[in-house]
Amino acid sequence: MALIILLPLAFSLLAWFLPSSITRIVGLISSFATLTWSVMQLLSFDPENTLYFDLGLRMVRFSMDSLGFTMVLLTNAVIFLIFLANFQRSIVHDKRFTALTLLMQFGLVGIFTSNSILGFYIFWELTLLPVFLILFWFGAFEKQKALLQFFLYTLLGSLAMLLSVIGLMHLTNQQSYEALLAADLNQLGNTGIWLMGGFLLAFAIKIPLFPFHTWQAETYTKAPTAGTMLLSALMLKMALFGLIKWVLPIFAGTALDFWRWPIIVLGLIGIIYGAVIAIKQQDLKTLFAYASLSHLGLIAAGIMLGDNATTKTAMLQIVNHSIVALGLFLAAGIVEQRLKTRDLSALGGIAKIAPRFAFWFAVLTFISLSVPFTAGFIGEFFLLKSLFSAHALTGVLASTTLILGAVYMLRAYQDTMFGPTQISTFADLHWSEISVFAILTIAAIYLGLSPQCLTEFVGHSLVQLKP
Amino acid sequence: MDSIVIIFIAGLIGLFAGMRKQTTLSLIVAILGLIGGGLAAYFRGTYISPIQSYAAQVPTPPMVILLLCGVTLLAILGGYQRYKQDPEHTSDYFALILFSLCGAILMAVPSDLMLFFIGLEILSIPIYVLVGIEKGSSLSAEAAIKYFFTGSFASAIMLFGIALLYGATGSFQLVEIQSNLAIGIWQSPMAMIGSLFILAGFAFKIGAVPFHFWGPDVYQGASNAVLMYMSTVVKIAGIYAVIYVFAMVFRDSYFFWIDLVSLIIVASIFYGYITAWKQTSFRRLIAYSSIANAGLMLFSLADANNTNVFFFVLAYAVSSIALVVSNQANGENSDELSAWEGLAWKHPLLGVSIVLALFSLAGIPPMAGFFGKFFLLWAAAPNLPYTTILALIGSVIGAFVYLRLLLLALKKPSVSIRIELPIEQSIVLIICSVLTIGAIFII
Repeated sequence: MALIILLPLAFSLLAWFLPSSITRIVGLISSFATLTWSVMQLLSFDPENTLYFDLGLRMVRFSMDSLGFTMVLLTNAVIFLIFLANFQRSIVHDKRFTALTLLMQFGLVGIFTSNSILGFYIFWELTLLPVFLILFWFGAFEKQKALLQFFLYTLLGSLAMLLSVIGLMHLTNQQSYEALLAADLNQLGNTGIWLMGGFLLAFAIKIPLFPFHTWQAETYTKAPTAGTMLLSALMLKMALFGLIKWVLPIFAGTALDFWRWPIIVLGLIGIIYGAVIAIKQQDLKTLFAYASLSHLGLIAAGIMLGDNATTKTAMLQIVNHSIVALGLFLAAGIVEQRLKTRDLSALGGIAKIAPRFAFWFAVLTFISLSVPFTAGFIGEFFLLKSLFSAHALTGVLASTTLILGAVYMLRAYQDTMFGPTQISTFADLHWSEISVFAILTIAAIYLGLSPQCLTEFVGHSLVQLKP
Repeated sequence: MDSIVIIFIAGLIGLFAGMRKQTTLSLIVAILGLIGGGLAAYFRGTYISPIQSYAAQVPTPPMVILLLCGVTLLAILGGYQRYKQDPEHTSDYFALILFSLCGAILMAVPSDLMLFFIGLEILSIPIYVLVGIEKGSSLSAEAAIKYFFTGSFASAIMLFGIALLYGATGSFQLVEIQSNLAIGIWQSPMAMIGSLFILAGFAFKIGAVPFHFWGPDVYQGASNAVLMYMSTVVKIAGIYAVIYVFAMVFRDSYFFWIDLVSLIIVASIFYGYITAWKQTSFRRLIAYSSIANAGLMLFSLADANNTNVFFFVLAYAVSSIALVVSNQANGENSDELSAWEGLAWKHPLLGVSIVLALFSLAGIPPMAGFFGKFFLLWAAAPNLPYTTILALIGSVIGAFVYLRLLLLALKKPSVSIRIELPIEQSIVLIICSVLTIGAIFII
C-alpha cells in the first residue's frame, strides 16, 4: 500500500533524469502504472476496514479508508487523463512538466492518505510547490501579478490553517485522526470556533467560496491548459476532502453549528454570483472558471449540512465536477490551441469544420448540465433535495443553478460551434483527445446509471457526526 | 583533548603552514581541525576548563559544537574560491575563522559571565578583520570600521550589564547568579537594568531590531565568503547564549522581559521582511532576511526547555549558505540582484539548491525551514499566542520576499549560459540540499 504514495514520487524523480525526447511517454506510462497499481489495490481492499501503513516518518502516519481511496483513484485517473489529453501539445515535451505533475500527484495522494493532521498540512503545502512552478514556467503571467496574488491568497489560507493545526494539537495533545475524532472539542467553546475558522479560511480560499474567489478566474485564464486542469479537477478537491474527512467530524458540535449557515450562505452566493457572471463572460476559460465557482458552491453548501447521505452525494458530485472540469477546460484548450483565441465573439461555426469536436463538446456540455443518466443529475438532484429539506429558501436559491447553468453553457456552446463561420481551418480532434472525451463520458454515464457503487463505497468510512 | 583546543591548534598550525603559500594545505589543515573538533565534541562530551581559578565548565552541548563546526566547514569550503585569491593570506583567513569559532564555542552556552565575555570578544574581533579583507573596496573598509565601532560599543554595553549584574548578585557564575536572583534580587533595579543591558548586547550581536542597523551595511561590504561565516555562526552562537542566559538564569524575571522580547520579535520580523522587499542588493537582502530570522530565533526564549531552536538555526544556516554560495558562483563578489535573473538555469545543481533553499526559508514543507519554524512556534504558541499569530502574518511577507528572488532566479533566459561550479562549491550545495530535504526523516 505504501507504494501508492511512493510510486508518483519515484516516477517524478525518474522523469528529471530521463531525456526530454521520451518524456511524454514517461509521463503517460508512469501515470498509467500508478493508476493500474491503485486499481489492483482496490480489488483486494476491504472498504469496511481502514488500512494503516507508514513510511518510516516519526510524526506522520498514513491510512487508507474508502473515502481516501476514492480520492486517490480520482487523482490517479485525472493525472493520467491530463497526460493523455495534452499528448500532442508542446507542454508535455518538457520534462519539468512531467516531473512536477507527478510530484503534484505525490502531494495529493499524501493529503488523501495522511492519518495525522500535521501530515495533512505538510502535504497540503507540498502541493503548492509544483503548482507554483507549473504556473510560473508554462503560464502566460505578465508581470507575475496574478501569480503572486494566487500565492498571497493560498499562503494566507495555509498560515491560518497552520495556526489552527498548532492550536488543535496543543489543546487536544493528539494529532492522529482517530484520536482527534475522540477528543471532545465542545468544551473549548469559542476557541473551537476560532480553530475551525482557520481551517475554513484555508478551504474557502482553495474551493473557492464567494468572497475569496478573486484569484480564480485570473489564474485559470493565465495558466496553461494542463495547469488549469490540475487546479480545477484536483486542487480544489483537496479542500472539499479536508472538509469531509477532517473538519466536519472533528469540529462537529458547537463550532460546526456556528459556521454551518455562514458557509452555506457563502456557497449560495457563489452559486448565483458565479452563474450570473459566467453568463456575461466573453472569454471561454473565464466562463468555465465562474461555472466552476457556481458548481463548487453547491457542493460546499451540501457538505456543510453535515449529514452522511448528503455527503455521499457530494462525493459523487465532486467526482462529477472533476469530469466536467477536465472536459470543459480541455475543450477550451483545444479551441485556444487551434485558433489562438478564446474570445466568444471571435469564434463561431466550428461545428461545420470540426464535427467530431462539436459532437464531443456537446456531450460534455450536457454532462455539465446534469441531464438524466449522467452523474451530475443524481448528484445535483440529491444535493438540492437536501438543501430544500434544510430550508426551503436555500433549496430555491440553489436550484437556480439548473437554469442559469443551462444559460451560460448553451450560450458558450452556441457561440463557439454555431453561427456564422469566422474561421477557415480547424484541425479536428487528435486520437488522444477523443479518447479522453470518451473516457470522461463513459465515466459520467456509468456513475449516472449506478451511483450507488460510489456512494456506498464512500459511505463505509463516513463517521456519524457528533450531535 | 577538547574541541576548542583542537580547533585553536589547527588554526596555529594553519598559520605556520601558510608560510609555504600553499592554499590547499591551509584548507586541509582547517578542515582537519574542524572535523577533529567536531569529533572531539561528539565523543568527549562537555568541555571542562583547565583554568582552575574559575573552576568553570563550558556546558556547550556536543550537538551545538558539532553544528558550529559543521556550519563553519561549509562556510570555509563555500568561500574557498575567494580566500585562495590571496595565497599569501589564505591561511591567515582560515586561522582567523578558526579562532573566531573557538570564541563561538566558548560563548554559545556559558557558565560564567567572564568566560562568556571573553568568548564573545574572541568571536567578534577576527570578524572585524575578516569584514575588511576586500582591500580594494571602500564599502568593505567602511563596513569593517562600522562593524568594529558598533561592535565595540555593544560589547561595552554588554560589559556594563554584566558589571551591574555582578553588583546586584556578587558573582559571575551563572548558577550563583540564578540562585541569588531567585530569592528576590531580580526585583532590584540594578539586576533589572543589568539584564536589559545584556539583552541589548545580545540583540546587537544577533542583529535584531532595534540594534540591527549595522547589519545591511556590514553584510554588503563584506565579501560573499565572509558573509557565509558571519551570517550563520555568529547568529547561532549568539542565539544559544541568549537562550541560556535568559531562559535559564533570568527565568525568575520572565514576565519582566518577555514582553520586551515579544516586541523585538515582532519588530524584527516585520521590519526585516518589509525592508527586504525593495532591496536591489543581494547581500542587503540576506541581511534583512537575517534580521527577520533573528526575530524568529528569539521565539525560543518563550519556553524554558527549548531544544527546538536547533532545527531552525540549522535550516536557516544551510539555506543561507546555499544562497550565498550560489551568489558567489554567479560571479566573484557579485552583489546585484539583477544578476540573479536566470541563475537557476546556469547549472542544474544551482537550480535545485536555490529552489530548496528559498522554499526552506519561506517555510514551505517539507523543507527543513518549515519544520524549524513549526517546532519553534509550536513550543512558543501556548506562552505567546498573539506574538505567534503576528509572526505567522510576518512570515507571509517573508515568503514573498523569497518567492520574488525565486521568480527572478527561475526566469528562463533566452540564451542559456552554463557556468562551471568548482568542486568544493558543488559539495557545499549538495550537503545543503540534502540537509534541507532530509529534515523530513529526522523529525
